[in-house]
Amino acid sequence: MASSISTGRAGGPGARKRLSGPLAYVAPALVLIALFFIVPVLMLLVRSFLEPTPGLENYATLFGSTTYLNVFSNTFLVAFIVTAVSVVIGFPVAWALAILPKRWSMFLLAVIVLSMWTNLLARTYAWMVLLQRTGVINKTLMSLGLIDSPLSLVNNITGVSIGMVYIMLPFIILPLMGVIASIDASVLRAAALCGANKWQSFVRVLLPLSLPGITAGALMIFVMSLGYFVTPALLGGASSMMLAELIAQLVQSLVKWGLGGAAAFVLLAVTLGLYFLQLRYLDAYKGR
Amino acid sequence: MLLDFNRLGALRYFLLAFTGLVLLFLILPIVFIAALSFGSSQWLIFPPPSWTLKWYQELFSDPRWLYTALTSLKIAAIVTVLSVVLGFLASLGLNRGEFAGREQLRALFLTPMILPVIVLAVALYALFLRLGLAGTTVGFVIAHLLVALPFSIISISNALEGFDRSIEDAAILCGASPWEARIKITVPSIRHGLFTAAVFSFLASWDEVVLAIFMSSPTLQTLPVKIWTTLRQDLTPVVAAVSTILVALTFLLIFVPLVFRKRQKDD
Repeated sequence: MASSISTGRAGGPGARKRLSGPLAYVAPALVLIALFFIVPVLMLLVRSFLEPTPGLENYATLFGSTTYLNVFSNTFLVAFIVTAVSVVIGFPVAWALAILPKRWSMFLLAVIVLSMWTNLLARTYAWMVLLQRTGVINKTLMSLGLIDSPLSLVNNITGVSIGMVYIMLPFIILPLMGVIASIDASVLRAAALCGANKWQSFVRVLLPLSLPGITAGALMIFVMSLGYFVTPALLGGASSMMLAELIAQLVQSLVKWGLGGAAAFVLLAVTLGLYFLQLRYLDAYKGR
Repeated sequence: MLLDFNRLGALRYFLLAFTGLVLLFLILPIVFIAALSFGSSQWLIFPPPSWTLKWYQELFSDPRWLYTALTSLKIAAIVTVLSVVLGFLASLGLNRGEFAGREQLRALFLTPMILPVIVLAVALYALFLRLGLAGTTVGFVIAHLLVALPFSIISISNALEGFDRSIEDAAILCGASPWEARIKITVPSIRHGLFTAAVFSFLASWDEVVLAIFMSSPTLQTLPVKIWTTLRQDLTPVVAAVSTILVALTFLLIFVPLVFRKRQKDD
């Protein structure tokens, strides 16, 4: 994300006076970040190695019990499903938004932005109501005769995945739309002139050229999904618990700070690892 | 011609229909909740048997809802002011200062935005328990400021990028002090960036729920925490009423400035 804002201009024209003591300007924000972000996160990580006894015991517990391993597999499974579904659904929408007449695409964008900025709890509540056993979706399917008894769509991975795709979709549509809109149309015209049919142009030209957008959006959704708390906690159940919920429970209900800290560290390490992967990928792409 | 809408042929009907369906998927649940908030069914039956305002009455007759909303408002207002001021200073330093590690510092400032909020929430909770800041307004403000500041820095940095600094230099040549020039020339020129920073900072705090769950106490709750604790018990239609009001407010906050700005441009 750091790459989305451009860097300051390096040395303006002429002998421009440099800002005197730039560190004084960043100091207030830096103090805030250091005291209330870096210090507490480091303290939590240290506790994961010290409580209740010094050593790697917490990590052994975390990776040694089937309960916790289940939480890890749920987390990665949901993140994977949500990412895959969001990309497949989001790509055609981003494509359409990139090439529709501006008047239309502006209106459609407004709908996406409104959905994105609607309170997260309000949106999750909507899905809790829609997906419940007596909810509209089950009732409609039953009255159409498609099912005989209500499907259990909530308190499990299905519910979590539906609710999360709903929340994550804008995060693939918006960046991907920008990438597709910036593709030079003459490249596709050239492909057509050289005899490529629509399918060939799609698979061999449009898709590869959209790949940076797809990768960036997909990684962002995957990373966000891994650490998501609210939607899994409300739409999921005991058997579909994800990592963020586990961390909250270990710390708040069970007061196991060491184990909770270890789980937080695992989440943090995976998130940062994927984030650096994305930065390197973007650099490599730009450097081509 | 996959990038020319008029020459897509049959494919364009598929794209249009698919996009239409996805947008319905995005917008219908919100409309659905708004409709249910006026429905008479306690069990949220749709379509509602009859229409009523009783959930709104119940909402406004319970002082706790109003109280938590005011708490949210107060915290979001303080966070907005601090976030814009700190964001402006930090952006000035980052954009104009030349020092080693500037880009690393910029990345550090944006990190709270990409890290899982739950990690930050648990870590801050541990620290605040020790400092006695858990369950206090100060604790809430610090927590929300951490997630609001990246939005502020991005908006203001972008605005500063687009601002021609020689205007500020001219004011200084004409005798203004550096701060006089900044406040009288730079601040008005980047007001759109500052405004965007304020809106995003406000929304980041107003809508924030994960940090708030950990920062709250039985006596100090924000509106999202109140919704959260209510939803953990049952799916009362009162939450539909709150949600509808929140959607309406978001709509006003996002689209009224857009329309207003467009008018200004058209004039």
